[in-house]
Amino acid sequence: MSSKSNILGLAYILLALVLVGLQADGFVQNLLANASWNHVAAEAGSRPTFLLAPDLADVITAFVLAGLAILAIFMGANVAIVASAGTIFSFFVLTVNQEPIIRYMTLSAVLFVIGMYGMVVCRNAVRVLMSIELMLNAVNINLVTFAKYIDPALMRGQLFAIFILTIAAAEAVVGLAIVLAIYRNMATVDMDRFNLLKW
Amino acid sequence: MKVGLDTLLFYLFAFIAIPFAYGVLLDRKIIRAGFLLIGVFSAISGLFLLLNAQFLAMAQIMIYAVGITLVVVIALMLTNPKSEDDISPLNNWNKIPGIVSAFLVFITIYMSLRAENWTVRNPGQLMQDNITRIGIDLLTYFSLPFEFASILLLVAVIGAIMLAKQEKEITQNNSDENFDKEELTSEDKNVIKV
Amino acid sequence: MTVSTSTSNKTQSYGVQSTGPANIVEIFKFMRLTIIWLSIIFGAVWGACWLFGVVLPACVEGFGLPAEISQTIRYFVPLVAIMVFIPINAMFMVLFERRALALFTVRKGPNRVGPDGLLQTAADAVKLLLKEDITPRGADAFMFTLAPIIFFAPSIFGCIPLLAAATGDHRLFSIANLPTGIFYVLAASSIPVVALVMAGWASNNKYSLVGGLRAAAQAISYEIPLVLSLVTICLLAGSLDVVEIAQQQVGGFLHWNILGAGKLLAVSQASPITFVTAPLLAICCILLFWLYMTGACAEINRIPFDLPEAESELVSGYNTEYSGIKFAIFFLAEFTNLFVVSAIATVMFLGGGESPIPGFLDTGFFVSVMGTLNSLLQPVPALQWLLNSLVDPATLSCVFWAVTKIYLIVFFAILIRGTLPRFRIDQLMDFSWKRLIPLVLILFLAVAYLRELV
Repeated sequence: MSSKSNILGLAYILLALVLVGLQADGFVQNLLANASWNHVAAEAGSRPTFLLAPDLADVITAFVLAGLAILAIFMGANVAIVASAGTIFSFFVLTVNQEPIIRYMTLSAVLFVIGMYGMVVCRNAVRVLMSIELMLNAVNINLVTFAKYIDPALMRGQLFAIFILTIAAAEAVVGLAIVLAIYRNMATVDMDRFNLLKW
Repeated sequence: MKVGLDTLLFYLFAFIAIPFAYGVLLDRKIIRAGFLLIGVFSAISGLFLLLNAQFLAMAQIMIYAVGITLVVVIALMLTNPKSEDDISPLNNWNKIPGIVSAFLVFITIYMSLRAENWTVRNPGQLMQDNITRIGIDLLTYFSLPFEFASILLLVAVIGAIMLAKQEKEITQNNSDENFDKEELTSEDKNVIKV
Repeated sequence: MTVSTSTSNKTQSYGVQSTGPANIVEIFKFMRLTIIWLSIIFGAVWGACWLFGVVLPACVEGFGLPAEISQTIRYFVPLVAIMVFIPINAMFMVLFERRALALFTVRKGPNRVGPDGLLQTAADAVKLLLKEDITPRGADAFMFTLAPIIFFAPSIFGCIPLLAAATGDHRLFSIANLPTGIFYVLAASSIPVVALVMAGWASNNKYSLVGGLRAAAQAISYEIPLVLSLVTICLLAGSLDVVEIAQQQVGGFLHWNILGAGKLLAVSQASPITFVTAPLLAICCILLFWLYMTGACAEINRIPFDLPEAESELVSGYNTEYSGIKFAIFFLAEFTNLFVVSAIATVMFLGGGESPIPGFLDTGFFVSVMGTLNSLLQPVPALQWLLNSLVDPATLSCVFWAVTKIYLIVFFAILIRGTLPRFRIDQLMDFSWKRLIPLVLILFLAVAYLRELV
């Protein structure tokens, strides 16, 4: 079981590498530019088709990578390997040709979304708190990026980040204290069992 | 195309942060997930260094990577005394909505970022008087939020202690029970000896 | 009473009438050993820096390679210095500690390997490296291996800014100086705790786990007085830059931060209030120094704060399961941390590389010695050139005093280890949260006011 999942994960990484290479080579862009619908649109002088335009080749590659990752996970690949590899490669494809500010903010969005997913899905209360810390950190990256690129004279972003740091510390302490109190009363940290006030 | 050191370091830190963040969510041993959180925070502090925020990078390491994570790890050890493995997800029903919503949120953020016309200013003056500026701002323009933050911390500390402290009656009962048990055992021993 | 009589009986029965003269011989041997070892260490580090910072770039430029390469090589000099310094220094410190403890307990200490026990720790190191490296069953192998590395790495990177302060901002080391110097050092020195918890958990051993948890609780509690006392000194100095703080304390021991940064000299008839405030400030600073040393002792888990590795309770705490090279790394890092902590104290409180009394063995003295040596070496120009390129009198005096002070503090820490018993765990927490932290907060306010009043 584990060897099969690891092999599938490796296969996914190789496939993703090939795709990223093709994208960097301009293959996807050429494919889209030569695609019949865009050809027709260009001849007619109108805008290229929405979402399938040549300048969105990186987005489409990232979509394909994400779809392949989901497919691999359904086939039983190692979830951690495939998910992180898929995110890394999609992130690379999406940001490599962009401005630095967009790179930083995309990384922040990725971490935020990972934290959000964890907050929704995880059942261990402490893990939910860890996901919240991840989200707060993602926000901090965003603010510091703004401080460097948008507002270098006043650096208000860094100040906000400092306040977020403070509040995150307070939040973590109080949250963990609540979890400990609940654990003492219910002997579990499972979020689904915290249902005393349900109905 | 010339690749700068900044770009290379950015991708290095990003490629550390993302798998570690997945590890925090997916690792079977939850205490190891707590330690992986340190990796994420350290990579983010590296990003702060790249963004010329030295003060924040150091504070990130001191507060997040050491302070908060240690508290989280200790809480994990306190709440999982028997098995270190996490609760296995019984019902998967919120996984697919989670993936879909995360995906949609990311697409929305990314496309709006790309569509925006960013007017980037020259960050040259940010490098030098970083900490001085933060200090002056904290004590002048942001002095009121600063005070509020300190009060918040105080309240949080007191509240956390009150929440985490065992209730008095329970401790008394426990100690009484222990005392009784000890007495019993000593009596038992005496009986056995006799 | 009974104890003292029994010991006196014992000493009589062993035939040692009075410990005085014998101990003086031991003290002399101890001093000799220290001086020999320190000259070996600093000769090696000095030579490595010279080769890497002067000779190698000169060769690179001699071969006609671009100047960027030689500049890049020069950037790595601080790292090379630390890499050479840390292993030899830790080896010496182990011997130093054992010999000093032997002095305090009127023993001889290790004295068989090499002349006068000089090579004892080298032999120990070889023995440790040859031992089998065991990973216990059920341990998390990756974390188990990672923990010593995380424990050791911050002590390398953390002390880099201190190097610039200890060498008097020498041009090869000024690259290591940061505008956020002391804050960087503190951030780096807070990391090892994570490694202790990691080691404790990954060992799959209850003693280790308890040791790791104790380390975490203790470090979190004692980091607050430690950091706040240094923050107060930064407030007094008005800077976070270690080199700047060291240079502000030039001019004798009255200018050191431990005595109020020269405010004692500002006492004058013109403002009578200074007769009260200046001594008060000095007392506050001495208390801060004591607070710093207490917090630092707890932070690096030394007696009386060695609860995480208390032998009588927890076998050996977090490093119970470690053996071979991993244990050696833990050991190395512990002693390096002691050195780093003493170096911080030296730079922040004791004036860095400055002579305590102006004119006593200071830069002028070393310059005159250099002049004498130069005139002696007049007939051999090659040796003269070597001397002048190798030795910089200003840096030499700086390093000499910095090392002297650092080793005095290390000696003091060993003295404490030989004197005080271990804390109890509940007393430990009480002591930090109920006594040290209020005291340091009061001192912070007091220094903030007194600094303006003097």
